[in-house]
Amino acid sequence: MLTEGRIDLLERIPLLKRMLKARAFQPAMMLLTLFVFTLAILTGIAGTPAGSRNFGIIFVWIVWWALLIVVLVPFFGRLWCTICPIPAPGEWLQRRAIIERLPGKLRTRGLRWPRRLKNMWLQNFGFLGVAVFSTIILTRPNVSAWLLLSFLLVGVALSAFYKNRVFCRYVCPVGGFIGLYSLLSPIELRVADPNVCADHKTKDCVTGNEHGYGCPWMVFPGDLTRNVYCGMCFECLKTCPKNNIVLNLRPFGSDLMVAKERRLDEAYKAFIMLGCALLYSVVLLGPWGWLKNWASMDTLPHWALYASSFVIFNLVLLPGLFALVVWLIRRITGNQRPFHQMFVDFAYTLIPLGLAAWIAFSFGFVLINGSYALVVLSDPFGWGWNLFGTSGVSWTPLGTSLIPFLQVGVLTAGLLFALNTAYKVARQHNAHHRPAFLAMLPVAGFAVLVTLGFLRLYLG
Amino acid sequence: MRINTSRTELVALVSVGLIVLGLPAAALGYQYWLRPATAPTHVIDIDLRVPQDGGFAPEAITVTMGEPVTLRFASLDVTHGIAIGPGLGVDLGHVDPGQVKEITLTFDHPGTYTYYCNAWCSPDHWRMRGTLQVIDPDNPGFVPPAQSDPMIQALIVEGVDIDAKHEEGHGHDDDPALEITRPLSAQHGADLLDSVTLPDEVIDPLWRRSHAPTQALELLGTANPQMTQADLIDVVAYLWTADTAPETILNAQVLYNKNCAACHGQYGGGDGPAADTTAENPVIFADPAFMFEMRSDVLYAKIRRGGMGTDMPNFGTLFTQEETWALVEYLWTLPVQLANQGEE
Repeated sequence: MLTEGRIDLLERIPLLKRMLKARAFQPAMMLLTLFVFTLAILTGIAGTPAGSRNFGIIFVWIVWWALLIVVLVPFFGRLWCTICPIPAPGEWLQRRAIIERLPGKLRTRGLRWPRRLKNMWLQNFGFLGVAVFSTIILTRPNVSAWLLLSFLLVGVALSAFYKNRVFCRYVCPVGGFIGLYSLLSPIELRVADPNVCADHKTKDCVTGNEHGYGCPWMVFPGDLTRNVYCGMCFECLKTCPKNNIVLNLRPFGSDLMVAKERRLDEAYKAFIMLGCALLYSVVLLGPWGWLKNWASMDTLPHWALYASSFVIFNLVLLPGLFALVVWLIRRITGNQRPFHQMFVDFAYTLIPLGLAAWIAFSFGFVLINGSYALVVLSDPFGWGWNLFGTSGVSWTPLGTSLIPFLQVGVLTAGLLFALNTAYKVARQHNAHHRPAFLAMLPVAGFAVLVTLGFLRLYLG
Repeated sequence: MRINTSRTELVALVSVGLIVLGLPAAALGYQYWLRPATAPTHVIDIDLRVPQDGGFAPEAITVTMGEPVTLRFASLDVTHGIAIGPGLGVDLGHVDPGQVKEITLTFDHPGTYTYYCNAWCSPDHWRMRGTLQVIDPDNPGFVPPAQSDPMIQALIVEGVDIDAKHEEGHGHDDDPALEITRPLSAQHGADLLDSVTLPDEVIDPLWRRSHAPTQALELLGTANPQMTQADLIDVVAYLWTADTAPETILNAQVLYNKNCAACHGQYGGGDGPAADTTAENPVIFADPAFMFEMRSDVLYAKIRRGGMGTDMPNFGTLFTQEETWALVEYLWTLPVQLANQGEE
């Protein structure tokens, strides 16, 4: 039972527990986000093609993105998944209800999700697939809208064939990185005492009962040691008859040290996220206009070259460089552990660095373009409406002088966090300080180089 | 307290219905049915893209005489500038990407106007034009015929090659090129007026419009053998700029900066940002030797109908004749230090 340094928020804040146990809470939040999501799709398809005046572009890729990457993921882990509207229609159709817990089975074909897809690889490739089109998606409202709609439709289609939230768990490109970075968050849903779960015969959190459904994320809370696959839907809180579910406040990054569950697909997610942050910074914030044109598909051959380079960098080059780092560690320390295991273990040091890079990257455009949110709030379609009197607000970059300081601060924090993680991982491989410290050095060099690359891009 | 869950479920279901069906119906219904039905004017949305991506959409619109019409211009890519002419005095200024600017107009007679971009937006900027046709509801088939310009007709009758490339010179081909060794000073020319004999032709503004300064210089040289050519050049510089009202010059300067400077340069140096991409070899108005070979009426004609075979577009569908003459007068100020500016 891991309670050291943990504070159970449900015990401390009874109102929070009551709220999360209420069946109406999650659907109510989903209805709010579904409203915004529907508006984003609608404005994308029917509104102005000018991205900066379109609610769909501004609220999804600036407001939501900033909220997600700067606030929700670092501080609340998968909280976005609690209120995400994308799986909602499919889930409601499965349950034949929005709020109530109806008796009987879920309405679905009940097919088995293929065993070889029970990992993060689909999410990795899905994210890369979206990423190579990102310059177009971020600027063209109709493309963005069709992408969002396709997520929703795929979610509904999968829920018709497979039980529970297969889309969220194995397919959603966003859910993949939220899960990975939720390893860092200071919030965790766990059981108070795993022995209680082990002794509990009916496992209501898995099978469901009259108070709620079995875990839609196909997780047994009694075995939870990391945040990655817990979607924080709080069904287990509703169904647990033993009152054994806790929502802990904990130190940042606690899950990074859970060695037994590290996997290659998650390691690759870390590479892809770091690589994409680096490439986005080069393309979108760098001074190379021709590269932006290539990414925007000025010609098909240019884009094909850009996309293939993008994918090769993320899947081959960056992991390949990191493999060299691991090879160096083995040369320096003489560690005889399997190469594969060391590669995966040390790749987790890139998770804090990657999240810091995404936050720093996001500061670069979120603060600059945030003022557009006021405009599209009053005129979401760009049709000349003025619902709240703010449609005439002129573009006002915020905190331009602060942005470099924020970026340096976040990247430095991410680097220090990564170095600390690298050392702790090395200590898991070596009981003694000196070999662990030596093993950390090549990873530290890699992380420092990457950080310097980001700083060069952001500070010029 | 027991919550009536089936009622809650119903509320949730209605909410989903309102969001998924009601929201699109309300938004689209308002925009495409209720708003046009209740709007006091006929609204026309015009999207702006650089010409290579389509330019204006739509590029031609028809409005009815006497009916208020609101034109809403939305830039979808880069900063454009929107004006409508000729003779309407409509200039909406810059329209930044994503920005929408609108104007409501009521036309009181049939006619053809041009809405155009007056901020250099791309190498094909000058192609960014659209046609606004005003029709009479009682006679919708009637389109006022285009009026020929008597000034241009006269040049054609005279046999002047309006389209001659500027490198080829304009008249006096047998004469050696005029050498101008110091900046032209209208102030100096004005100071010399009392000591100069001015031939009648040179005093006549209409004569000056149809003759090049070099021709005036010849007449002045004959009448004033005691004067140096450099002094007489300044006298000519004064005569070619003296009749221009400062207000006219200021208005023309605005027109020039918005419509001409991209190629010809802000100070007439032929070095505008589009000089290398849009025009191969823009005329250098600041070059006194070139301008002394030019006639005002030829400049006027080139502006209004464009230079065929050159990269010069026509502006006759954008500017009034008065605006064009004002532009010509402004061009004469570019190589000359004006009298009212003094010797700087």
